[in-house]
Amino acid sequence: MTKLRIRWATILLSAMLSGGVYASSEAALPDVKIDTSSAHLKNGAVAILNVCTLCHSVKYVKYRSLLEIGFSTAEVDTLRGEKPLDEPFLAKLQPESARKVFGMVPPDLSDAAKTRKNGAAYVYALLTSYHEDAQEHVDNKLFPGIKMPDPLGLSVELDPARKVKLDQRAKDIAAFLQWSADPRAAERESLGVWVLGYLAVLTFLLWLVKRRVWQRLKAEGVG
Amino acid sequence: MGRIVEWLDARFPLTAFLKHELSEYPTPRNLSYWWNFGSLAGLVLVIQILSGIFLAMHYKADSTLAFDSIEHIMRDVNYGWLIRYIHSTGASAFFAVIFIHMARTLYYGSYRAPRELMWWTGQVLLLMLMATAFMGYLLPWGQMSYWGAQVITNLFRATPFIGDQVVIWLRGDFAVGDATLTRFFALHYLFPFLITGMVMVHLVALHMVKSSNPSGIDLAAKNNIPFHPYFTVKDLFGVGVFLLIFCAFVFYSPNTFIEAENNLPADPMKTPAHIVPEWYFLPFYAILRAVPDLLGGVVAMAMSVMIFAAMPYLDRSKIPGGARHRPFFRVLFYVFAIDVLVLTYVGMKPPEGVLIPVGQVATFIYFGLFVLLPFISKKEEQWLRARGLPPELQALVASEEAQRALKKKGAL
Repeated sequence: MTKLRIRWATILLSAMLSGGVYASSEAALPDVKIDTSSAHLKNGAVAILNVCTLCHSVKYVKYRSLLEIGFSTAEVDTLRGEKPLDEPFLAKLQPESARKVFGMVPPDLSDAAKTRKNGAAYVYALLTSYHEDAQEHVDNKLFPGIKMPDPLGLSVELDPARKVKLDQRAKDIAAFLQWSADPRAAERESLGVWVLGYLAVLTFLLWLVKRRVWQRLKAEGVG
Repeated sequence: MGRIVEWLDARFPLTAFLKHELSEYPTPRNLSYWWNFGSLAGLVLVIQILSGIFLAMHYKADSTLAFDSIEHIMRDVNYGWLIRYIHSTGASAFFAVIFIHMARTLYYGSYRAPRELMWWTGQVLLLMLMATAFMGYLLPWGQMSYWGAQVITNLFRATPFIGDQVVIWLRGDFAVGDATLTRFFALHYLFPFLITGMVMVHLVALHMVKSSNPSGIDLAAKNNIPFHPYFTVKDLFGVGVFLLIFCAFVFYSPNTFIEAENNLPADPMKTPAHIVPEWYFLPFYAILRAVPDLLGGVVAMAMSVMIFAAMPYLDRSKIPGGARHRPFFRVLFYVFAIDVLVLTYVGMKPPEGVLIPVGQVATFIYFGLFVLLPFISKKEEQWLRARGLPPELQALVASEEAQRALKKKGAL
């Protein structure tokens, strides 16, 4: 009976704590700290432009958006070349060719970090989970049978120093996608401090007013 | 100023109205903070209407543009992210506030005579709110929007004889598509104004019968205080606390109430592995799935919402104060609350393993409590009276009966 009760308590508690849906694969995600400071976002943006956009679009991000993560106008001009500032990040691979090669159009990455819980960690884990088996066949531990070939080449890299560098690149890509999924997060969080601070003061004052108004009742001795 | 008011009062009962509905409107002085949630529901309605109007200025109700237009609002529109997060968080806040408002009514027995109409207009408001939320959820045109609408509209297939036609009529197409999106947008914009009208009816009824209170009796005049300033200031303080919690979510955890999968654009060719409704529909969804038969499930789900309307008749006890003075009723209340939490959990998970019987047992308990209520409430009253009421309660009952006798005399 006690055991049953404990199990019930666990079920209820986990229901309250989880609060939403979770996929079973998330438990396997590494607990990584993804640094989203400007330098890392910029490295991530370059990697995205050089590697990811060969096949994927990041269509809600425009070259102009790069100014928001710390690139100078000159740097953006170098990155965009002849393309207009308002041009979104489109895939170099045409959709028809993609369908021929992969049987599908690779998904847009703009919101990749928020299409699942803990999305940035998932992106990092996915990029670093490629491995080569005994038959020299490359597969992904997190997503077996994935159609995307190892984009960073981590699975075949032998030089340890280079491996560390590629691992950092995966983190930077995850950082950039974290930003691109929620580009107003920094603005939101800094504005939130003022809003909550204002409301806290206002609520405290309202509580004082309420107390004072209600004290009249006591003074009158009604009821 | 005084002359303007005078001029107005000769043509419109402004001062008289304010006097009658605010500065002289009698309100029980013993109301607890649980009575704040009515005004909070009104506040959330206003928040939703205002943020919704601004969203509609940038949103495009077209299946090829809807998702993009949300991204546009979130990324390019000045403070668009704020408006959108206020609206998406507001939907959850609305249900949270309404559920607490309903729980308070149930706990204190506020649905009993003479407040049946309050309860029933509230029931209609709940249904309108659910319809509005459901239609609004389709508008971002994400995967969960699309498949949620697909699953729920499909339930109408259970309509006898003309089920398939009804589903097509609702969707405007054979599957959820552009026609569904545009009509849901039109109705999602319309319903809040119908809700506002219904809220007026709810309030007019309230000002007729006046607020209930934790003691459960109609208070004598000396225990009533004017609504203004006492409750305007108390409600304002409640608004402050509410906004603090609300804004904490809006600014620091706005995606708590947005299903991750809904950030993927709708794809009619790709069914998500696990379709879940928003948290506020989960208990009813669990009841739907607990019944193996489609028609049975739909009827059970509809019943689970509508059965509240029968409360004034199911509860046969005259002991005032709701659960406060009624030990058995209090047990029923808490069992019901826990049962709803269990159903929420079951509704959130895929229907497999032990969760299937758990959901069925919880559904059985859900309806069982309503079925048992008439007997338990009657027996409880007899038992309480036979045992002798505590002096405080005895005084309440006596004062209630005296008032009733007085009213009868007045009527004669």
